[in-house]
Amino acid sequence: MIRLENLTKRYQQVTAVDEVSLEVASGEIYGFLGPNGAGKTTTIKMLAGVMRPTSGRIFINGLDLQTNPIEVKSRVGFIPDRPFLYEKLTGLEFMTFMANLYGLNGQGREKRIGQFLELFELAEWGRELVGSYSHGMKQRLIMSAALLHEPRVFIVDEPLVGLDPKGARLIKRIFNRLRDSGLTVFMSTHTMGIAEELCDRIGIIQKGKLVAEGTVTELKELAGQEDPRLESVFLHLTGDEAFGTEEINFIGQ
Amino acid sequence: MKILTLISPRWWAFRNGFVFGGRRFLIKIVALLAMALGFWAGLYVIFYRVLRYFQGVEEFGDLLAYKLLTMVFLTFFGLLVFSNVIVALSTFFLSQDLGTIHATPVSMGELFAARFLDTLLESSWMVLLFGIPIFTAYGLVYRASGLYYLGLASVMIPFLILAAAIGVTFTMVLVQVFPARRTRDILFLLSILLIILLFFLFRFARPERLVDPDAFASVVNYFRALSTPASLYLPSSWAAEAVWPLLKPSSASSAFYQGFLWMTAMAGVVASTFVAFWVYPEGWTKSQETRSPMAGTLVNLIPEHHRPRRGQSSQILALMGKDLKFFFRDNTQWSQLLLIFALIVLYLYNYSVLPLERAQMPTFYLQNLIAFLNVGLAGFVLASIGVRFVFTAVSSEGFAFWIMQSAPLTIRRLLWSKFLFYLTPLLVLGLILTVASNELLQVAPLMRWLAPLTIFSMVFGITALGIGLGAAFPNFRAENLTQVATGFGGLLYMILAMGFITLVIVLEAGPVYTVFMAQVRNHSLSLFQWLYIGGSLLLAVLVHGAAVWLPMRYGIRKLAAYEG
Repeated sequence: MIRLENLTKRYQQVTAVDEVSLEVASGEIYGFLGPNGAGKTTTIKMLAGVMRPTSGRIFINGLDLQTNPIEVKSRVGFIPDRPFLYEKLTGLEFMTFMANLYGLNGQGREKRIGQFLELFELAEWGRELVGSYSHGMKQRLIMSAALLHEPRVFIVDEPLVGLDPKGARLIKRIFNRLRDSGLTVFMSTHTMGIAEELCDRIGIIQKGKLVAEGTVTELKELAGQEDPRLESVFLHLTGDEAFGTEEINFIGQ
Repeated sequence: MKILTLISPRWWAFRNGFVFGGRRFLIKIVALLAMALGFWAGLYVIFYRVLRYFQGVEEFGDLLAYKLLTMVFLTFFGLLVFSNVIVALSTFFLSQDLGTIHATPVSMGELFAARFLDTLLESSWMVLLFGIPIFTAYGLVYRASGLYYLGLASVMIPFLILAAAIGVTFTMVLVQVFPARRTRDILFLLSILLIILLFFLFRFARPERLVDPDAFASVVNYFRALSTPASLYLPSSWAAEAVWPLLKPSSASSAFYQGFLWMTAMAGVVASTFVAFWVYPEGWTKSQETRSPMAGTLVNLIPEHHRPRRGQSSQILALMGKDLKFFFRDNTQWSQLLLIFALIVLYLYNYSVLPLERAQMPTFYLQNLIAFLNVGLAGFVLASIGVRFVFTAVSSEGFAFWIMQSAPLTIRRLLWSKFLFYLTPLLVLGLILTVASNELLQVAPLMRWLAPLTIFSMVFGITALGIGLGAAFPNFRAENLTQVATGFGGLLYMILAMGFITLVIVLEAGPVYTVFMAQVRNHSLSLFQWLYIGGSLLLAVLVHGAAVWLPMRYGIRKLAAYEG
């Protein structure tokens, strides 16, 4: 469903993503983990067609993103890490606009928009300007808009940032439903608990390179850590285990 | 020292522009400097010539120069106070870094001092820029000594500080009444209305009569008009009173008014500090309140059947519908329509009062010459509107541009939808300007159809240049769109649009002149003249085509590669 072949992105002297190759099957939730600045967001932006790779190829549903951008994008739902939206539109207008943008028409459209606003608990805010929404509400609005056109692939950068526990639980439930209905989810996250709970497979990126990949169990075996928590495995694989904090006095003595 | 730390980000940002901005930043700086120098030179020449002309007017030449000086100071003071209010709203209440700064151990006094300095600098630099050529012209025309320039500095410093103190104090009080975000909107609207009012007052007062004593019934009336005393309660009058004796030695003392300005400025700073300590903490807390939602305001005025219908699948209609809603829901956007309306009224009013009958040239010739120049002028008006609205069209997507990038939408379609959106109103405006002014001028039949036709075709190029260059030089991070319009891309747009308009005028002027002269002399056109007219007009058509095609292609290519 998603295939990356030697995906590379260079900014002058810096290589943000370095020859990353991976495959995500249909109906799979793939977690993309890595420390800050490892190349997660750059990879996701390239996958969403927001950024062009320096070299390498991206296939979604068997179609090359570079040569068929419109067809590919119409089958993808994308949520960026920061929920920037059109603040001067109401939630309902934004959903209608997105439906038009993705060519979603027909009689059931209005009903579908209503259902999604209801599902994401935004129905009573539908006629208010997006500018008056909280961060969490904006996040939920983007998610409902991204699912509106029935994408086959869902690409999400940090889906749970800024959500309250109730919102986070809702998103987790939706992700499980998406997987059950055969949708492919590619998500980046810093929350190890979410990755462990939701993801079928995890890829770890470090300094632009994919350093490890597999199920949670496989990664734990690979790391060979006594501590079974994913956080410990992650820190071991990314080489960020030890911070030299001992020599610093945090409180004046 | 914390005050310096607090204002250092501004300096660092400027320095980093040189360090990290590379060649593009340098080109921008050089282009801006070149423009500033050109502007200075232009303003200097205008003031120099006007002052020299005044000197030639017997008896009251100096009085006119003094009157102009008071007007300059009054305008500057008004601009300064207003600009300080707007800037203070931002620096004290709306700036994004305030949340962080308030969490640091910075005292109220330090924060106030730093932000006051910020406000003062940001509000004053433009007035200084305008002022230098004007005051230099005064100095040179009156052959003033070095004392004039020193005295001028000693007048300008307290003048600027006083305006800042008044502006900051007013803002502090204003935010007690309205939330800061709403205040900005209200002030913006007020400023537009104020500018319109000033335009009308100034224009309908026909200031050109001041240099034409014949227009007054008697010399007594003329003197009365000139010697109306400026209010001595206004700091702008003190500034003028302080500067004038340095230009034209008289019994009046410059030092008295200078001292007065300095003392009032210092008192103003103390007063604004006092007010700030008193009301700022509460005002800042208020400014954190969420904006009240205000969905569907002006857009509801558009008849239902003219709004893009729901259920329409066309992406272009969806994009245009969104842009329409944006435009009417953004107070800073739609309110400028009022300004444009006022400009049109004044534009046409000017034509209605042109004293063509008193000119030396034959009226027929002059009317048509002006009608021709009018085409160029209307083009420039459209380009000025274009830089504010059309050039900023792509940047208006702001941080939400990712939606366009990730949607199944080509950049080509996005840009052409924006092109169509702005084309229609500009076409209507262009036609109103030319048709109505030609009517007022009673021009020859040839110009009656040539002028609207030229403007009609020019609008395509003016719009395409705006959309294309706006896409090539987008600024999705700008806090407001005026910032986008005044940037490097906006400058380039203005230069290219002016170039395009001038080129079209030049290409059409020759053939029109040939036809007119043949008519006046009652000759028929020769084969060579026909060829010349045909060739010139063909070239004009090609220029129009290039003005649409090239910028749109360039914009599409650049925006498709945008990865910011």
